[in-house]
Amino acid sequence: MRFRLPLLAGLLLASLAGPAFADDGIVVYNAQHEELTQEWADGFTKETGIKVTLRNGSDTELGNQILQEGAASPADVFLTENSPAMVLVDGAGLFEPLGKDITDLVAEGYRPVSGNWTGIAARSTVFAYNPDKISEDKLPKSIMDLADPSWQGRWAASPSGADFQAIIAAMLELKGEAATSAWLKAEKANSIAYRGNTAAMKGVDNGEVDGAIIYHYYYFGDKAKTGENSSHVQLHFFKGQDPGAFVSVSGGGVLKTSQHKADALAFLKWIVGPGGQKVLRDGTSYEYAIGNGAESNPALPPLASLEAPKVDPALLNSQKVTELMTDAGLL
Amino acid sequence: MLSAEIAAPRPLPAPAARLRRLPQNAPVLAAATIIALLSLIPLGFILVVAISAGWDQVVKLVIRPRVGELLLNTVWLEAITLPITIVLAVALAWLTERTALPGARWWAALMVAPLAIPAFVQSYAWNSVLPQLHGLWGAVVIAVISYLPFVYLPVAAQLKRLDPALEDGAASLGKGPAEIFWRVVLPQLRLPICAGALLVGLHLLGEYGLFVLMRFDTFATAIVDQFQSVYNGPAANLLGGVLVLCCVVLFGIEAVARGDRRYARLGTGAARMPVQHELGAWMIAALALLAITATLSLGVTLATLLRWLWIGGASIWALRDIGAALAQTVGLSIGGAIITTVLAMPMAWLSVRGSSRFQRGLEAAHLYAGALPGIIIALALVSITVRVMLPLYQTAATLVFAYALMFLPRALTGLRSSMAQAPVELERAAMSLGRPPLVAVWRTTMRLAAPGIAASVALVALGISNELTGTLLLAPNGTRTLATKFWALTSELDYAAASPYALLLILLSLPLVVLLRRQADRALSA
Amino acid sequence: MSLLLLSSVTKRYGAVTALDRASLNIEPGTLTAIVGASGSGKTTLLRMIAGFEAPDTGNIVFDGGDIAGPSGMVPAHRRGIGLVAQEGALFPHLSVGGNIGFGMERRSDPGAVDALLRAVELDPAIRKRMPHELSGGQQQRVALARAMARHPKLMLLDEPFSALDAGLRSNMREMVKRRLTEEGVTGILVTHDQQEALSFADQLAVLEEGRVVQAGSPRELYLQPRTEMLAKFLGDALLIDGRVQGGETDTPLGRIRVGRATSDGPARVMLRPEQVRLVPWSEGTPTAEIVSASFEGPITMVRFRAGGATFTLKVPSADAPVQGRASIVLIGTGHVIPAAG
Repeated sequence: MRFRLPLLAGLLLASLAGPAFADDGIVVYNAQHEELTQEWADGFTKETGIKVTLRNGSDTELGNQILQEGAASPADVFLTENSPAMVLVDGAGLFEPLGKDITDLVAEGYRPVSGNWTGIAARSTVFAYNPDKISEDKLPKSIMDLADPSWQGRWAASPSGADFQAIIAAMLELKGEAATSAWLKAEKANSIAYRGNTAAMKGVDNGEVDGAIIYHYYYFGDKAKTGENSSHVQLHFFKGQDPGAFVSVSGGGVLKTSQHKADALAFLKWIVGPGGQKVLRDGTSYEYAIGNGAESNPALPPLASLEAPKVDPALLNSQKVTELMTDAGLL
Repeated sequence: MLSAEIAAPRPLPAPAARLRRLPQNAPVLAAATIIALLSLIPLGFILVVAISAGWDQVVKLVIRPRVGELLLNTVWLEAITLPITIVLAVALAWLTERTALPGARWWAALMVAPLAIPAFVQSYAWNSVLPQLHGLWGAVVIAVISYLPFVYLPVAAQLKRLDPALEDGAASLGKGPAEIFWRVVLPQLRLPICAGALLVGLHLLGEYGLFVLMRFDTFATAIVDQFQSVYNGPAANLLGGVLVLCCVVLFGIEAVARGDRRYARLGTGAARMPVQHELGAWMIAALALLAITATLSLGVTLATLLRWLWIGGASIWALRDIGAALAQTVGLSIGGAIITTVLAMPMAWLSVRGSSRFQRGLEAAHLYAGALPGIIIALALVSITVRVMLPLYQTAATLVFAYALMFLPRALTGLRSSMAQAPVELERAAMSLGRPPLVAVWRTTMRLAAPGIAASVALVALGISNELTGTLLLAPNGTRTLATKFWALTSELDYAAASPYALLLILLSLPLVVLLRRQADRALSA
Repeated sequence: MSLLLLSSVTKRYGAVTALDRASLNIEPGTLTAIVGASGSGKTTLLRMIAGFEAPDTGNIVFDGGDIAGPSGMVPAHRRGIGLVAQEGALFPHLSVGGNIGFGMERRSDPGAVDALLRAVELDPAIRKRMPHELSGGQQQRVALARAMARHPKLMLLDEPFSALDAGLRSNMREMVKRRLTEEGVTGILVTHDQQEALSFADQLAVLEEGRVVQAGSPRELYLQPRTEMLAKFLGDALLIDGRVQGGETDTPLGRIRVGRATSDGPARVMLRPEQVRLVPWSEGTPTAEIVSASFEGPITMVRFRAGGATFTLKVPSADAPVQGRASIVLIGTGHVIPAAG
């Protein structure tokens, strides 16, 4: 008893001293949905035998973590749901430039011109609405319409999430600061804030609000499961290059500081290649595929038909967005 | 974040036998001082941020409509929840302790049982059953049912110990039962009511999960929002500063409400058992009140949980994930609890062996962090490790340190009452037999206090296992505790998959309820 | 007519009988002491008079009206009977003035409060202090003042001096007796202290195992106790077996007169120590063989043998025999304890 306790305590302390790292294979800081990335990882490991360890978190959290960790970061690959976090990390010059073998696999417009990172999937902004509460002819023509006082208390969003903040970043790019700031202030007055897109969609389903700004795949995903959050929900795509038709690009990049660059690049290549994009087509994530010539899930309306506005994903400025949102009182 | 003790985090009165300061005090004093200084880190951090942000930015980020909105929400929340909780708790305590209610002991256990259910689980259950309940009223309802035991426990314990001679005397002075309750019993409940209400008030400030699900914005939710959007920005930290000010205000209100009057029984005679009043015609109403409270605070959640478990079927029992979360929770809880208890030992030993102004100051430093919302502590540690101590950033060590800060008061109180039972003479005898001081203390006091220490460790462990906000912010990204995994699934509205985690959390918390009840009784008789 | 009449009051707690057909009569303006050992039922009796317990059988009549009995029970707060508890039971959250004013109709009458304080021999300035700042004796005085504030007809005192030091006790006793007598308040004092019982009261009632075994004046109970237990309770007693014949009884200590009505036969005789004197020995008298003598200041404890038995007696030291033999002289009347049954 005399020595056992101190020894135990010592071991405990030692074990807590540092996070455990995988010694072989690659470490992926993953902000994408866990299920999807796990499918990618499993497929890649099956094909190549390279082990993949996932670290899950959110866009901003992991992006900032990489910035803070700097050269000491154990991350080899960074995957996100939206672009702004990629821009953040790229701005600090932390990405390894990608070769043409990777960038050629991705359709133009779904990767930045710089070639430091690439798109891996995409999702479209939609207005999910409750047909019992609002008829098709009353739907907003543009997302900017929602600032109108007639929409007071009738729509919802999840402003604290990175998803919505990416949409605002696009709006900022397309409409400028003044219009975006005004729209955000109107949002504060008009909309109900939920936490999470699923919660917002459920709010529409319940009839608590007429509609909500979310991403498309929440609807399809719910329908494929029990459908209980979307039984009274339909999707409205804004189209016409409206900011509300913004297609957000999920990004993937390899860290310059990576110790396993070759493996990391191979993983990224696999994701954007036929193997990874097939997962998007056949799987249950319902996100859009962006590989050259890759098909998306047949349940989805074709990407081209969505008439998305042209936004260079490298120009999305998340810091300005949070500034504007704080000013508007949303954060 | 169950941090501040039910019997109020006040230093114990000095022991009756005034001890000469042992010259061997010095190393223990030094250890306690170091720990106290470490405890002051969150406070220091807030001040540093406020100062370094510059006055203009402070004004810009603090004096804005959003903060006003959050402040108003907080005030409404406290102003509505606290009176309801107090009235309900006093009524229920009176019924279970002082009336001839059938099955009173069972009812008493039911009133305390909601402690086993974390507030965010209550919120989850109610949200899935009644999604229309949200906003301020949703928050109030869930808060009342979750935090009722914090006031019920000390009030019930005090009611048990009331001197019946006072009530008899008041009756012989011509006062009827109602007037006796108002003018004699209630004033004696002032202390436990204040202590319990303060605890509830502090929890309301720091609670995150409950309010997120109710879609009710408070400082805590806004801080997490900011944190997840901007990460380590000044806005989040300054919101934290405002939150700390709210805590200070609460402490001030409690100090004023408590007053400096003494309410303990005068005299030394053994008290007679208090009289159990007959209820007569009120029996039905009393039973109805108890039954409704139990249903709302326990029945709804447990039934919902079982329903989700049933609906989910076997598929939700992803044993690998659940097992991993359980293992991590247990590991962090026990490891954290042992470390916290060890850190609390120097101060506990000092406070039962003597008292001085300096020591009381040390004690205050140990205790205040327990009153801070977990999110503030987490925020402070994130910022400090990121800026100053990068190797510790995102490590389990930092997380455990945060737990230690949050739960030091709980460990301290538990240790004190068990160490106080071991007389100092034993230590002195051991030392006179040639043992060095540290060994003497270890062999005598610690051995005797061992059961109490073990109970204390268990209490802290269970508190850690229920902790959500701090873990969300500080845990290294591999970490998945039961609470955070539950939270992740609930955020996706995957209620069925979240239910096994909720079940495990409740099962782990059940011993907590028993232990807390015993400790509340013991603390009052100490 | 009596102020308080208890008739055959019985109270049972489960298997324990606390009061067994207890009867008691209290005349107005008197002071009664109820004495008994712990567990004898005196606290139950007091609580029943106060109105905190209801009798199982029997009834209680107070001031001409039924307050407890088969027809129902008047609750404590409507009886107008004052109570001073064992430790005062002052309300700790009220000041002295607040405590005293608690029972008064017009609470904000400082003049009345001051008068009450002066009556219990306390400085009216004490009004602002809190109970925990007072000494035990002061607390009891305030408790009395508080109870007196309602001018009750009957005042119950539950061992009010037991928590005080001996020196303080007699002072307090005198003060309470004065107050009650001056105000014409009937008092019932419950005590286990025999000296208190003997000196305080006009009437003594003795409870043994729930029964009132004897009630009467202190003198009567002291000199003619009805049970051995009572005899020993009220003071030192020499209990010896003797034989009664023609108004006198033979005891190992000699011959002594007994009460006229005592029948002949064997008897248990009680002598108070002050009835036994040891004088210088002379021939032909009852003899005491001194075994030992221990000086204790004013008295000397003398152990002696007489008539085959050994006795211990407290004797004034001035003429205490310390050795050898002494003659025993008995004075007064011996009391025969009635046989049980």
